[in-house]
Amino acid sequence: MLEFLTQSPHFYDYVTAGVLFLGVFNACEILFLLYNKTKVERSELRRGNLKRLASTALITATNPADLLPPPVTEDEFAAYSEAIASVLDSFEGEVAVKACQLLTDLKIDDHYRRLARHRTWYKRGNAIDILSSFRLNDNKAFFLDIFRSEPSTDVKYRILYGLSRLTREHAEIRELAELLSTLPYLTAKYTEDIFFNIISTLKAEGKEEEFGLFMKELLDDKLVLNLVKRDCITACHAASCERGRGVLKQYYEAHAHEPEIQIAAVKALAKMGDFALIPQALRHADWRVRLTALKYADLCCMDMLPEIRGLLRDPSYHVRLAAGMTMARAGGAARAALKEEASSQDKFAAAAAAYALTQGAA
Amino acid sequence: MAKILIIDDDETIHLIGVAYLGKAGYEVQTSFDGPEGLEKAVAFQPDLVLLDINMPKMSGFDVAKKLRENEATRHIPIFIMTSLKQDSNIQRGYGLGIDDYITKPTNMAHLKLKIDKFLEKHKQP
Repeated sequence: MLEFLTQSPHFYDYVTAGVLFLGVFNACEILFLLYNKTKVERSELRRGNLKRLASTALITATNPADLLPPPVTEDEFAAYSEAIASVLDSFEGEVAVKACQLLTDLKIDDHYRRLARHRTWYKRGNAIDILSSFRLNDNKAFFLDIFRSEPSTDVKYRILYGLSRLTREHAEIRELAELLSTLPYLTAKYTEDIFFNIISTLKAEGKEEEFGLFMKELLDDKLVLNLVKRDCITACHAASCERGRGVLKQYYEAHAHEPEIQIAAVKALAKMGDFALIPQALRHADWRVRLTALKYADLCCMDMLPEIRGLLRDPSYHVRLAAGMTMARAGGAARAALKEEASSQDKFAAAAAAYALTQGAA
Repeated sequence: MAKILIIDDDETIHLIGVAYLGKAGYEVQTSFDGPEGLEKAVAFQPDLVLLDINMPKMSGFDVAKKLRENEATRHIPIFIMTSLKQDSNIQRGYGLGIDDYITKPTNMAHLKLKIDKFLEKHKQP
């Protein structure tokens, strides 16, 4: 083919035609990109204006739906839903009530409920995310209904996230935890966020005891994964859920072979100022539990100095260093003991002690 | 007339803040990000800054820190208004010298009362 072209008397004509074609193609491509850029910019501007109009109507009008043109295109629905979600995220009281009313008056929630059954999974997922941001209690039954028929796991995760913003009773929280356990475990952050949302909502409504009741029920629930239980305790830690406090000790006792649950329980209790588990955690067979306990030992348990000093000879490098750091933080007799250990015959203990003393001095 | 500066990247907050607080007799200015907010704080000399945390260019924590570091703005009271509810964020905010940490969603009527009381108590002679 190449030979034919180079030997042809029309070779330069072919080259010229090729160059011209490429030039026209590039020009068309630039025009197409410019057209699309303008289209996107116009659409963004229109969305911004509509969003501003919706926010202004929510503040100024008694019935905002009277002032706003009903949405028709996807962009218009998106603009209204963004404005309403933003109001609901930031405000409560009169303006939030009006925003919820606007969702029904302009049939925005109906539109996204229809989209949540779309054949394309990402459109369903996007609709679920938007419905979640509205936090409408009416959507609770809808979310549970579509969860059962939803084929995509990605969308199911979003449905559960949406449900976590609407869950109020301990039985509902338990149902959510069980549904969560039917899906492949996603990430600790995702599960923790789910429970954090629930605790935040309950706290805001003064119903934190519902979470305490749920924690009690969850203790023996075989349908819920241990990883989910662990993340639930971590969420308790992050949200400072005092109502879970009593039951956290039971989690520690009941999950003797689940160090991750025990670590989460020790941390959550220590954050609440309860160090009751630290002495037994310091003697735990798993090095990760001993390490966690050492982080708080200087606050509560320096009467256990001989045992903490013994941890300078622990098989785990991390525990040895943490024991040294704990003794350095505690000061007094513990620091004096640490200085003795720095010249110990045991080179591992001596290294950990020397390191801790350097850090303490720094 | 007391002056309030709202630093938040959400235009809805600006609109609602200006409408409610403006109606209550405050002179309100807004800015969308930290650097712009810092400039306005120097020029406008507000009696109170309402500050979000999650913003483009600079986080609310950094803005609070810079406000406290600058001689011209270190006296200005700061209320953080955010959806971040974790204790670690609240501790960090107070550690930077803010005056109040308000979590969203906020009731505007309650916020107005809180601002009224705060400014009345801290009114300069």
